[in-house]
Order: sequence, then structure tokens, then C-alpha cells
Amino acid sequence: MTNRIVLALVILYLLLPLGATLVFGISNGNGIGFSSYQEIFSDHDFSATLLLSFELALASTVLAVVLITPTAYWVQLRLPQARPMMDFLALVPFAVPAIVMGFGLIEVYSGNNTLLSILSLGLVPLLSNPPFNVVNTPQLLVCAYVIVSLPFVYRPIDNSLRAINTKVLTEAAYSLGSGWWRTFLTVVLPNIWPGVISAALLTFSTAMGEFTLAELFGIYTFPIYLNVTGQNNAHKAASLTILSFLLTFLCVLGIIFLLRRRPGGAKQDERLDIVAIK
Amino acid sequence: MAFLKLEGITKYFGQVTAVDHINLSVERGEFLTLLGPSGCGKTTLLRMVAGFEVPNAGTIWLDDDDITHRPASKRPMGMVFQSYALFPHMTAEQNIAFGMSIKRLPKDVMQQRCAELLKLVGLSDKGRSYPHQLSGGQQQRIALARALAVEPKVLLLDEPLSALDAKVRVTLRNEIRRIQQQLRMTAIYVTHDQEEALAISDRIAVIAKGKIEQLDYPEEIYSNPRTVFAATFVGTSNHLQGVVTFPAEGICQAEQYTLHIPPMPHLHTGDRVLVIVRPEGVTIQEANETIDSEANSATGNHITGVIELRTFLGPFTRFHVSIDEGKTFTADLPSQQARDYYVAQKVLLSFPPSACQVLPLDAREVEAEHLTEGEKV
Ligand SMILES: Nc1ncnc2c1ncn2[C@@H]1O[C@H](COP(=O)(O)OP(=O)(O)OP(=O)(O)O)[C@@H](O)[C@H]1O
Ligand SMILES: [Mg+2]
Repeated sequence: MTNRIVLALVILYLLLPLGATLVFGISNGNGIGFSSYQEIFSDHDFSATLLLSFELALASTVLAVVLITPTAYWVQLRLPQARPMMDFLALVPFAVPAIVMGFGLIEVYSGNNTLLSILSLGLVPLLSNPPFNVVNTPQLLVCAYVIVSLPFVYRPIDNSLRAINTKVLTEAAYSLGSGWWRTFLTVVLPNIWPGVISAALLTFSTAMGEFTLAELFGIYTFPIYLNVTGQNNAHKAASLTILSFLLTFLCVLGIIFLLRRRPGGAKQDERLDIVAIK
Repeated sequence: MAFLKLEGITKYFGQVTAVDHINLSVERGEFLTLLGPSGCGKTTLLRMVAGFEVPNAGTIWLDDDDITHRPASKRPMGMVFQSYALFPHMTAEQNIAFGMSIKRLPKDVMQQRCAELLKLVGLSDKGRSYPHQLSGGQQQRIALARALAVEPKVLLLDEPLSALDAKVRVTLRNEIRRIQQQLRMTAIYVTHDQEEALAISDRIAVIAKGKIEQLDYPEEIYSNPRTVFAATFVGTSNHLQGVVTFPAEGICQAEQYTLHIPPMPHLHTGDRVLVIVRPEGVTIQEANETIDSEANSATGNHITGVIELRTFLGPFTRFHVSIDEGKTFTADLPSQQARDYYVAQKVLLSFPPSACQVLPLDAREVEAEHLTEGEKV
């Protein structure tokens, strides 16, 4: 009985602000109406920024997962002594505020520091001048997002790798004639799928809602649009919030559905590993 | 040349010498067991044969090919792991087919061989089960079938039974032996369980501290241990340290006991020896005056003591008899004869000279040379 009450309270706690936002969005001073939604859908900036954010988030997600998954596997398999270092590296983005990182990136790539250009083997001057300029481009923003989301990507994947007996499974596959990549793709990846999915989910939502870096880079993304709108039209902003919440919710539902349908997927209780990043 | 041959295989992990100049030959179709205590280097040796570990020195020959530096995936070896290591997301059938699909065998061949192997391991009805739906013993059978599916030249098993309970362990070990003999498969089997090793092997390599102590047939290892370690590690035994007094007659003095041992013409008066007696070679009688005085004249060995512990072990009963100075002597009697003896009873232990194994004690170097020579054959 007490369990139910607690559960109800928690749900209330979570849903109340959402409900208030919803109501605030559709009320326009003298009544209730959906004019704010009409406004949103007819706003060109809405679709443009949403699309851009979506692209940025997708690119960050793909890049992060493709970079980190094989790396985590490699570390687990061959460099177990490097694990503490990886754990530390994966926590750095938590410790360094986004604003510091944003300024850092801009400083490094737009400055004319000789020491830096030597240290980076000439990469910094090359990348900060045309035709390869990356400063304030969406590409660099994607790279920054990959770094910001490192903890969300590395931890769930690493946890999944630890949960299965990665080393022995790999050796079993080797002894059956499988090479590294085949083992990774056909033996390891299917078994760490939940971790990879949570990593992707978290990266995607982080990139989708990221404000500070985008603002510093001067790139007009959805969160910035949301902020601008909020300053001009609070009702519209509230409706926007509801919309983006629905979008995220649908994404999560879709992914959970995908996971469930995987052959042999419903066997163990494969919860998304989101909690594990604590 | 032998089918699989290890020459001077050595492996260091930092300061630790896990495997120390091991020479070993395995014949085609032979079932060889690496037996030794935890940490003696059995797994490391097996992993070097499998290709998961590269030796710091030495050569591994398979069928006249030097495979020392060949990657694991290119070696014709099948491996069975202690933790089964089945791929959790694949059914039993898919697990078995994994290696065959890498070899790009035609689908119908794969299906047929899958069915054959499932039948061989007695799990024809479990092809579509996932590993988590199978018991430990069943999983290990599937793992065995999976390793056999690629038709390896050598089957490697690292303590495949130690995660299973006692009953399954015995059934499955007989099963493994049956399949190995049926397929005439060359196999290397790692275990720390001496009973398992004795039961399953053609030959046993007793390993201690990265070195082979003795390589021999199970019967020989048991009844003719050539080192103190082999004698202690395999089976139960009683030990008496003594000095040879009359080598040709076979008499030695172990503290207050004069022991009759087999004649030892190659030993000298004054050599220190260890006399080893297996518990089943010892008989028990009620102690009384007449036998005591008789004991001195007879050629057998007689020691008096008091029964400390009596353990019923089914077909036989084991007695721990305390002899002098807190030393205990172990004797096994068929359980039918054991009824007359009870704890705290004073008894006379007897064993003939033929029940005594004698190992020279201070001749470690001689022994080591003897060993390496034995392996060169
Ligand atoms: N990867 C490794 N790194 C460092 N030391 C190792 C490694 N593998 C094994 N060793 C050491 O090598 C020695 C032999 O280990 P090994 O695993 O071969 O023993 P084992 O005979 O299989 O023992 P067990 O019966 O416990 O499995 C041990 O001292 C162990 O600590
Ligand atoms: Mg081992």
C-alpha cells in the first residue's frame, strides 16, 4: 500500500511540471487554444533548427559509438591495465564545465600559438585556416559533443563488456577461426547491444539539448531557438518544450521496442543501462 | 616426430616464471592430462598451445609445422573452457555452426554435422535452446560439440568439469573420454583433480612450479611416483623418512622403526630415503603381545598405534592411526573387515616390503636429469 502511495507521489512529482507546462502553452491569456502550436509549425526557424540539431545529434551519436565501442572492447581485452585511465578520462567531461571546454576549443583553434601548432604536429593551424577551417563549424561542434558525451558512452558500454565474459567469449571465437573484427561484430556487439543503445540514447539526447557550446560556436540549434523564443513568447516556448519532450519520448519508446524485438532479446531482463552511469 | 611437440617452452609474467622449459610430446589420438596444483602453470601451457599466449622461449610443433607464432584463429585447435563460453545470443545449433560458417561450409553440410554432433553429445532435442535455457552440464556438452565442429587436430580442455557438481562431473568425464576415443581425437586436458586425471587419461604430466615432475601412464604415476611431489599430489600416501642401512637386503631405519623395503642395490648405506606407503597396502590387526614379538622376526613391517579417526567411504573405510610423536598413518580396509575396529583401539599396522615406494631424498639433481632424459624418448 505504502509502495503505491510512494509510486503515485513520484509520478506526480515528475508529471506535474509537465502538465503545468502543457497547460501554460495552450492558454493564451484569455482562454485555451492551440494557436501557439500553429505559430510553431508555421515558423521556419522551428523546422530548420530542429533539423540541424537532429543532424548534429545523429552525427555525434554515430561518431561517439563507432569510436568508443571498439576502443572499450580493445581496452577490456588487451589493455586491462589502462582501464583506470579510461575511467578517469571518461569522467573529465563531467568535471570540466561545457563553457570552459567551448572557450578552450575556440582559443586553441583560433589562436596563433607556435607551441600549440608544434605540439599538434601542424594540425591546429591547418584546421583553423581555410580551406580546412573547423572553427565555429558544425563539424567541430560534433567533435565537442562527442567529448561531452564520453561518460555517457564509455560507461554503459564498459559495463556491458564487463557483464559478459568478454575475454573468454573472444578466445572461444578465435579458437573457432574468427578474426578480431568478426568476433567484435558477431560475438561481442550482439551481447553488449543494450549498453550501446543506452550510450547512443544518452549521447543523442545530450547533443539534442546542448546549449552552451552551440551558443559559443554561434550555431543556431534547437535549444538556442527555444531560448530565443522563451524570451519573446513564453506560451510558445512552453508548447515547444512539450513538443520536444514528446519527440524524445517517442525516440525512447522506439528504441526500447527495437531492443525487445531482437532475436533472443527478450531472454534476460535487458534493461537499458542508463542508471549504470552514476 | 610426435604429433604435437613442445620444446623448451618457457613463459614469464613479469617476475613469475609460469612455465619453465617444458618439453612434451603428444602422440596422435592420445589423451594427455596436465595435472598440478593451482598456479603451477597448466592453463598457461595450454593457452600457449592454443595460441592465446606467446611463449618467451621454445617451439611448438604440430604435425611437423612450427606453430609457435601462429595466431589462435589460424591453429587447428578446438578449445573447451571452464566457463563454457557459449555465445549467449546464439542457440545451441548456431553456436555449433559458428566455426563451420567461418570456414564457409555449405549449408546442408553444416546442418548435417550439427545434427550429428548434437547426437554425439546426447542433446539432439536441445538444438534450438539458448545457453541460458541449458544446465551447466548441457552447456559444456554443447561447447564440446562446438569445438569438435571445426574438426580440430587437437582438442584442448581447461578444467571443463570444475564448475559442475560431482555427479555430472563423473558422467561428463566418461562422456568426454568416450567421444575422444570414438573420434580418435588428440586431446590435452587440464585439471587439478588427481582422481579425474587418473580416470580419464592415456598419460599424465604431473606439473609443479612450471615444470613437469613426471610424465607417465596413470598406473605408473600412482604406483611408481618418481618424485616426492608426484607421490604426495596423486592419491593419499604415508611418508616415513629414513636412512638406508643394508641396501642389498632392503633394510632401512626410519627413526625407531626398522623397515623392510625392496632391495635397493643402487643405493648406499647412509643414503637418506623417503618411504611411501599407500593406505590400501596397509592392513590392520588387533594389537597383542604375541604379534608384537613376532613382528621383529618377520620380514614384513609392523607399527603399533591407536585409531584416531574412522571414516566410512563406501567400499572401504579409512583409518587414521596415530603412531609415535603425533604422526598419523592412514590405512584403508575393505568396509566388511573394518567393522571390528573402533576409535581409541590399539592396533597393529602391517605392510609388506612390496607396498613400499622408496625415493632417494638428497638426489634431486640426479632425479631431474633422469626426468628430462625420460622425456626425450
Ligand atoms: N595474465 C597473467 N598475468 C600475470 N601473471 C599470470 C597471468 N596468467 C597467469 N599468471 C601467473 O602464472 C602462474 C601460472 O598460472 P596458471 O593460470 O597457468 O596456473 P594454473 O595451473 O592454471 O592454476 P589454476 O589451477 O588455479 O587454474 C601463476 O602464478 C599466475 O599468477
Ligand atoms: Mg588454470
